[in-house]
Amino acid sequence: MKKSIKLKTSQLMNSDIDKEQNTAMNNSYKKWFQSGSPWVWLSAAGVSLSLISVLGLLWLIASRGLSYFWPATIYQFEVNDLQGHNHTVIGEIYDRESIPVGQLVHTKLKFAPDTLEVERILVKTGNRELVNLDFRWILVPQITKITEPKNIVVIERRTNGNFYGFITKVILDGETVSNTQLPQLIDRVDNFQQQIEELQKSDIGSINYQLERLRLKEKKYQLNHQLTIKIKHEIDAEIEALKIQYQQLEQKLTSMRQQVARDKIEVRAMNGKVVTINLENILTVSYANKLNLFEKTGVFLQKIGHFISDDPREANTEGGVFPAIFGTVLMVLLMTVIVSPMGVIAAIYLHEYAGNNGLTKMLRIAVINLAGVPSIVYGIFGLGFFVYMLGGSIDELFFPETLPSPTFGTPGVLWSAITLAILTLPVVIVSTEEGLARIPASMRHGSLALGATKIETLWRIILPIASPAIMTGIILAIARAAGEVAPLMLVGVVKMAPTLPLDGNFPYLHLERKFMHLGFHIYDVGFQSPNVEAARPLVYATALLLVTIIVALNMTAISIRNKLREKYRALEH
Amino acid sequence: MISVTPKPLASQQEIRDLANLTPEQVALKIQNLNLHYGEKQALFDISMLIPKGQVTAFIGPSGCGKSTLLRSINRMNDLVDSCHIDGEILLHDENIYGKHVDVAMLRRKVGMVFQRPNPFPKSIYENVIYGLRLVGVKNRRTLDEAAETALKSAALWNEVKDRLHESALGLSGGQQQRLVIARAIAIQPEVLLLDEPTSALDPISTLTIEELINDLKKQFTVVIVTHNMQQAARVSDQTAFMYMGELIEYSDTNTLFTTPTKKKTEDYITGRYG
Repeated sequence: MKKSIKLKTSQLMNSDIDKEQNTAMNNSYKKWFQSGSPWVWLSAAGVSLSLISVLGLLWLIASRGLSYFWPATIYQFEVNDLQGHNHTVIGEIYDRESIPVGQLVHTKLKFAPDTLEVERILVKTGNRELVNLDFRWILVPQITKITEPKNIVVIERRTNGNFYGFITKVILDGETVSNTQLPQLIDRVDNFQQQIEELQKSDIGSINYQLERLRLKEKKYQLNHQLTIKIKHEIDAEIEALKIQYQQLEQKLTSMRQQVARDKIEVRAMNGKVVTINLENILTVSYANKLNLFEKTGVFLQKIGHFISDDPREANTEGGVFPAIFGTVLMVLLMTVIVSPMGVIAAIYLHEYAGNNGLTKMLRIAVINLAGVPSIVYGIFGLGFFVYMLGGSIDELFFPETLPSPTFGTPGVLWSAITLAILTLPVVIVSTEEGLARIPASMRHGSLALGATKIETLWRIILPIASPAIMTGIILAIARAAGEVAPLMLVGVVKMAPTLPLDGNFPYLHLERKFMHLGFHIYDVGFQSPNVEAARPLVYATALLLVTIIVALNMTAISIRNKLREKYRALEH
Repeated sequence: MISVTPKPLASQQEIRDLANLTPEQVALKIQNLNLHYGEKQALFDISMLIPKGQVTAFIGPSGCGKSTLLRSINRMNDLVDSCHIDGEILLHDENIYGKHVDVAMLRRKVGMVFQRPNPFPKSIYENVIYGLRLVGVKNRRTLDEAAETALKSAALWNEVKDRLHESALGLSGGQQQRLVIARAIAIQPEVLLLDEPTSALDPISTLTIEELINDLKKQFTVVIVTHNMQQAARVSDQTAFMYMGELIEYSDTNTLFTTPTKKKTEDYITGRYG
């Protein structure tokens, strides 16, 4: 009993001392708190966190994405495999990781007793016609020798991916020539190739397009019961003429192809087999291990150039992303053209004309809530309303001759732009309205007092002053629309679009066509491709490109806004 | 006691009896004007004649309705939703509150300058010709001449002639107010309403504007609201004293400031309240 009392008193005394200390501490805390510096520190921490995450994100995407374009060193590995056979592996190191020894028990490999982890490397070996997989893991302890042979070449091909090996023979028009002539040869073949492509895409494409239009024309007459024998003959004659043209072009094409097909090279692969590759199938040949830093930079930039300007190959896992860039930018621009007038007009109505009553309030709340609807819902709406209802009606009214194959009644770039316009509409409305509300009443009164009507005041005074706010809305809309993928998958984006929405055939801009989009391309390459390892760096590179494009679009809009702001700056006080 | 130096009136403009003006001498005729903002009555049964080619000042304490009365003359009160007006204001024997009046047309005839200078964020030139552009004048020469005339009338030409196409927002407050006056007179109104035009300006700019008002009355009928009694005395030919929405006394400036007939007027001009 006594003991416990003693304890209590001592506890009490202790707590008294604590209290004193606490109050002293509290006071200094209080002071620090009242000085406001905790908030300064807190906000500084918040800012640095956001900055770090933005920079970190950019750094990760940029480093991974850009390393894809840097010409890698090609190694020749001598490997002693599980069965004790020696063989040679040629390729570039793609990835390396450590794995616990326990995972390797089944291999019956012997390691030093204290080894816990073994390093293994992923090598891109290419040469798809010789091996099933163009990537393979090699355990570092199995490697007996690593060399970097100078005369190894990397051959980038149109099909079948890269080829690594040693050139043994260059054949020009069926005759063997010196290896040194190879670059000129490739240039020559490249020129040919471009001509062939030109022929295929523009000339033959245009003839096909005209043929299709003639077929539709005939069908249209048929539908309207106006197809007389005379018209039929005219159309047939035209078709005949086009077909003759077509045959001529095709002959030309075949002869060009034959000519190109006579140039080839023979390459010895890592397992000693000699493979013949047609020059027509070759994009670039580089002695990767002979390049100095300067040349490597050249190759690096060249590869980036190809990435930006080429069409994708091999189910999107190789080649460039030009159609996706084009599709993204075109769709965003279309969206901007659609959303800006809609949003501005709606905001003007809400702010200037609608009475200040319950209905207007409801409308405002509805607009704000529209911004919170998940984007995929817009996709469904776009598909149901725009594509099937609106597009279907347009087809019935204006393109009956093509039915049952739809023209506008199928996902396309126009419907995507409109769907995203609806999705970004609230942003434009809200910021325009805020801009209108900020304009001093004196501007309005000044104009009205000079005999301007309300609409004249709006056009000549109010809208110009509100233009920076409108631009802010558009900037936000672009930022949101350019990154949106989910709704697009329903209303117009495809994995591979055969033609761009813009070409040389009348009416030049084909809004009904499907298009490719960088955001969807990332998803497709990263998750839907047959060759995940090969596609991984492409995912980063495409992501980097998407970010760059969005930033570029935003920067353009922001610089326009800043110019406008400068003009009206004196009013904002 | 405020010392007032009475201003001699030009003999041909001298109007002794404001109640008996000939029709040619009248610019505006206000008859039994009552104005309500919602439930609250702001103007009570105001009747007065505003003579042509002269400066008429409205004075009175804050909230007496002088600005409201001024704004009713070019129907700027229409912008206030709750505003309701009875009575008539006649311009050329036509009630400006009549059914078929084109408000924009009315405002072209009755120009207005506000308390704070409100140039548009455009060039000086575009500000001046704004009213002309509205009526569809496109001829470059006409516009140039109108701009020059208006700026000269507003005593601003010499200061801005070399930078007509620079932003009007770069001008000083006094210059901006003269620009706004130039803008108002460029469309050749008959009446010019000035709503405390100098209250936001420094004394020197105020003086320039007051001199300008003296010149302006040669071309226009000027109605000015001011809460500065010296200013009213300096610039106006007639003065109306208002109190609590009522017109207390209205006579030529000289008489009003030297021998007011009403007790309230005397109290106000001698500084007992206000």
